[in-house]
Amino acid sequence: MLKRALGIALLAVGLAAAPSSAQVSGQGGGQAKQSFVVDLPNDAATLDPHLQWDTDSYTIYRNLFDNLVTRDGAGKIVPQIATAWRYLDDTTIEFDIRSGVTFHDGSPLTAEDVAFSIRRIVDPALKSPQLSQFDQIVSAEASGPAKVTLKTRTPYPALFPQLVKLSIVPKAAVERLGDQAFNLAPVGSGPYKLLSWQKGVQTALAAHEGYWRGKPPFPSVTFRVVPDVATRVADLRTGRADMVRQLGPDEAAAMKGDGQLQVLSVPTERIGYLFVNALAGPTADVRVRRAIAHAVDRSTLIEALLQGFGNPVNIVLTPANFGYVPEVKGYEFDPAKARALLKEAGAEGAALSFLTSPAYDRRLVEAVQQMLQDVGLKVEIVALDHPTFLRRRQGRPDEAGSLSLGRWSCACQDADGVIFPLFRSGGLWSKYSNPAYDAEVDAARRILDEKGRLGHYRRAFEILREDVPGVGLYQDFAIYAARKEVSWTPTPNEAFFVFDVKWGR
Amino acid sequence: MARFAAWRLLQAGIAVFGVMTIVFVIMRFSGDPTLLLVPEGASREHVDALRRELGFDRPVIVQYGAYLADLLRLDFGNSVVQRVPAVDIVAGRIPYTLMLAGGALLIAFGVGVPVGVAMAVWRGRAAERLLAAFVLVGQSMPTFLSGILLILVFGVLLGWLPTSGTGGLSSLVLPSVALGAVSMSTFARMARIAVVDELGKDYVRAGRARGLSAGAVVMRHVLRNAAIPVVTIAALEVGNLLAGAVIVETVFAWPGIGQLAIQSIQSRDFLVVQVIVLFVSLVYVLMSLLADLAYAVLDPRIRLHGA
Amino acid sequence: MRALALQGVRGVRTIPAGILLVAVILSVIAAAALLAPLVAPADPSRQALLARLRPPGFANAAGQTFWFGTDDLGRDLLSRVIHGARASLLVALLSVSVSLTVGSMLGMLAAWFRGWVEVAIMRFVDIMLSIPAILLAVLTVAVLGPGFVKLVLVLGLTRWPRYTRVAYAQTLQVASLPFIKAAEIGGAGAGRILLRHVLPNIAGPLLVVATAEFGLMILFEAGLSFLGLGIQPPQPSWGSIMSAGRQYVERAWWITVFPGACLFLLVFSVNVLGDWLRDRLDPRSRSR
Repeated sequence: MLKRALGIALLAVGLAAAPSSAQVSGQGGGQAKQSFVVDLPNDAATLDPHLQWDTDSYTIYRNLFDNLVTRDGAGKIVPQIATAWRYLDDTTIEFDIRSGVTFHDGSPLTAEDVAFSIRRIVDPALKSPQLSQFDQIVSAEASGPAKVTLKTRTPYPALFPQLVKLSIVPKAAVERLGDQAFNLAPVGSGPYKLLSWQKGVQTALAAHEGYWRGKPPFPSVTFRVVPDVATRVADLRTGRADMVRQLGPDEAAAMKGDGQLQVLSVPTERIGYLFVNALAGPTADVRVRRAIAHAVDRSTLIEALLQGFGNPVNIVLTPANFGYVPEVKGYEFDPAKARALLKEAGAEGAALSFLTSPAYDRRLVEAVQQMLQDVGLKVEIVALDHPTFLRRRQGRPDEAGSLSLGRWSCACQDADGVIFPLFRSGGLWSKYSNPAYDAEVDAARRILDEKGRLGHYRRAFEILREDVPGVGLYQDFAIYAARKEVSWTPTPNEAFFVFDVKWGR
Repeated sequence: MARFAAWRLLQAGIAVFGVMTIVFVIMRFSGDPTLLLVPEGASREHVDALRRELGFDRPVIVQYGAYLADLLRLDFGNSVVQRVPAVDIVAGRIPYTLMLAGGALLIAFGVGVPVGVAMAVWRGRAAERLLAAFVLVGQSMPTFLSGILLILVFGVLLGWLPTSGTGGLSSLVLPSVALGAVSMSTFARMARIAVVDELGKDYVRAGRARGLSAGAVVMRHVLRNAAIPVVTIAALEVGNLLAGAVIVETVFAWPGIGQLAIQSIQSRDFLVVQVIVLFVSLVYVLMSLLADLAYAVLDPRIRLHGA
Repeated sequence: MRALALQGVRGVRTIPAGILLVAVILSVIAAAALLAPLVAPADPSRQALLARLRPPGFANAAGQTFWFGTDDLGRDLLSRVIHGARASLLVALLSVSVSLTVGSMLGMLAAWFRGWVEVAIMRFVDIMLSIPAILLAVLTVAVLGPGFVKLVLVLGLTRWPRYTRVAYAQTLQVASLPFIKAAEIGGAGAGRILLRHVLPNIAGPLLVVATAEFGLMILFEAGLSFLGLGIQPPQPSWGSIMSAGRQYVERAWWITVFPGACLFLLVFSVNVLGDWLRDRLDPRSRSR
């Protein structure tokens, strides 16, 4: 242990003494770019794709692994490791597995690895936090030299959106190394392999020469951990970073005139909404909830606080999700109507508690508080740390506060991943109970026919419009910034594949 | 002497053990990380199942007993977020905090002591009042304010030094200055008092009478004798530096254990927090032990012999 | 103590100009804190989403001038800074009172009763001194949540050991004095003796510690609010205003600089005044 600590200390001293690597951006004409540097706000929690699943972790490990299927630029689900598939019946799917794919250690990717990966993520022994997204899968077997058969519990229309997130790991390597060592030295079949991981500082990747899709664009990629957004921008300006993730709207707006940089943004499937407690407190009265919907000025929020990096929505879902129904109308900004509704309900001056945590934009919280106070409500902001916030928000209705902000994404681009957990009675997040609504969303998740599902969702959103257990505020944008030489199109599911990045004027 | 040290070591051990117990209990009562680990749409059954898997549904007493049993085998547990041993995570970050504390100590000592000595030697003169104001400024500046100002002036306006991160020795400068500023004033005051005390002693007057200049007396004898109390203070300042490091690491995004501590508390990564608390309280306790031993050595009888 | 008061009344003319200056600064800040609602030109929580991040001297269409500029929600920074003075002074005053009371009491009890009471209390002091205060504050806020009262309690309950050590040492010295022994023989109870006879005699050194701690408490509160663990927005506190302004330090430096300057002036004045008072109260701990 002492030797390890000493070694780490020496490494750190060596790091400190070494001159910082200067990025020479674009110089030298036709010379290919050797190293691509990305600044991330946090370090990856794990590099094992079957464990932690937060944006920064999968930004890195999605470049180390291939998935069973993936989404193309238009958002359609297309083959990756699975070349074709067919439904044998409503709960059984057979996949053809691509040949000629090798892992970083040279071993070939086989159907057995695919089946192993699927079984591993649903294995309770792994204690994967992602288990709940794949628990409809009952079994996965290699049913031929290049075929895998997968069975689900019931007909599951959201299966393929979830499979987009399932990475293939090598059975032999995982069994040989064990879960813990595999997490620190992962082996995948993706375009890049892990060179080094200095936790909390940076992760370095090197190109995988035998990658099946072709030669990766850069010989090496480095992901640096830079929590401070102003520093990420500074790194971009000085050329220390080629691309940065997660810019705020103010920083992006300030960058608009810069000739060396570009802002890349895309509307995502993440919905910004206001949760309103329908089971407890003054908001249990539906008139109060409707008044709140009328009191919030969505367009000013988007224009002033989001600098236009947001699209207004009328329902608690974004157009990037399947199930979005534009016909359902929202509530217009009408403070007079809000006041009238409050008067009718006898709720003028009612005391509401607005729960929040550091995970939510404080300015949005305070702005909404002001808007509600302007129509006569008394809103108190209750600031908690995130674990306590989650505990209360997902606990009893009388502890969940009257209001809170939400930024929800299921990474599945399907309504089932959004309004089912948020509003179906009995769910942890749901402080709302309506049997008619439950019936619609239950039915929608059990049939595979798209038109039928859309019908159910339209009726579900009409019920939500009447009852207002939540107010859809805006479709969130993902904001990246990069040097001018970078050509890359961000996608609504916030995936980042270095393989798709091009460099050059 | 040896018995005294052994007794203090035992007391230190009890103190550290007490600290870890208090922290353990406080953290357990603040909730568990299960809700933070699962994806947003997880159902109640999944959350409960994961909580059971990770062992957080057991009563606090049972968890404490299991933790003590593991400690006896020197097993400090795995981070529940990163799934690797907590000790490895902390060990990887300690060097950064040590570098920062070292840099800050260097600045605090290297600036504070000469300033304090100068203040003592030039006592009563205008220069002393100027230096006194300088020392007071250092003491009154909150570390996050000096950090932000340093970033603004040297990083943004002048562009001389990097604004944050760990890109080489130059990025250590600003955080060290921010962290060392308050300790600098403590060293200056202590050095001043110590040197003033020494200057009043007989041997100094004897040396001046023999024709030695003030400077020579200072360099040859005073500094040597004043060093002991100053070094004692240094041992205690290390504790303050570790505490101040939490804020400086946040402002400069320096990946040390201060930043790790805040992150781990916010993500309820209990076992990592326990390891950090163990390390920090060990340092505190050992440093105050060092200071106590130094005081014991300062016994006047021994000093008279040495002068 | 009486001697000092007499001396003070007599010797106002002998107070150096520098001390008078900082006393004035302190009074201004204290007055601003006390009279904040009357002195502040605008409502500190009034947002103006379309007038965010405006520079100092900005005047809006209605003719209102924002002398310190506006913050990231368009609120008047000057008013927020004035109201923020309340947080700094109130929290420091209350937390010093808490730790002074708790700490001195425990120290006196430990020195008076000796035996296992002494061992228990002083070992507890050792344990408390081994925990870095910031970590303890972060942990406590994690459990109990942030808030004004909890902040005062957290700060007060992490700093009491410093008073205990001083109270303990001083009480030991005083306890052997003849008039204490006389009171004991006269049948007075421990509480009465401690409060009426011991306390007045150890008050000097304790107040010396308190004056040093006052400046530290101001810095602590600002630091914790800066980390998001102290006074919660939208209630203004210099630390949280600076924390929110940090990401705009390039484009809107005034959000960090103005509260920072006020914080510095306050702590500087407190330290200067505290040093001067310490020189008068307890010449042994002189710094000049």
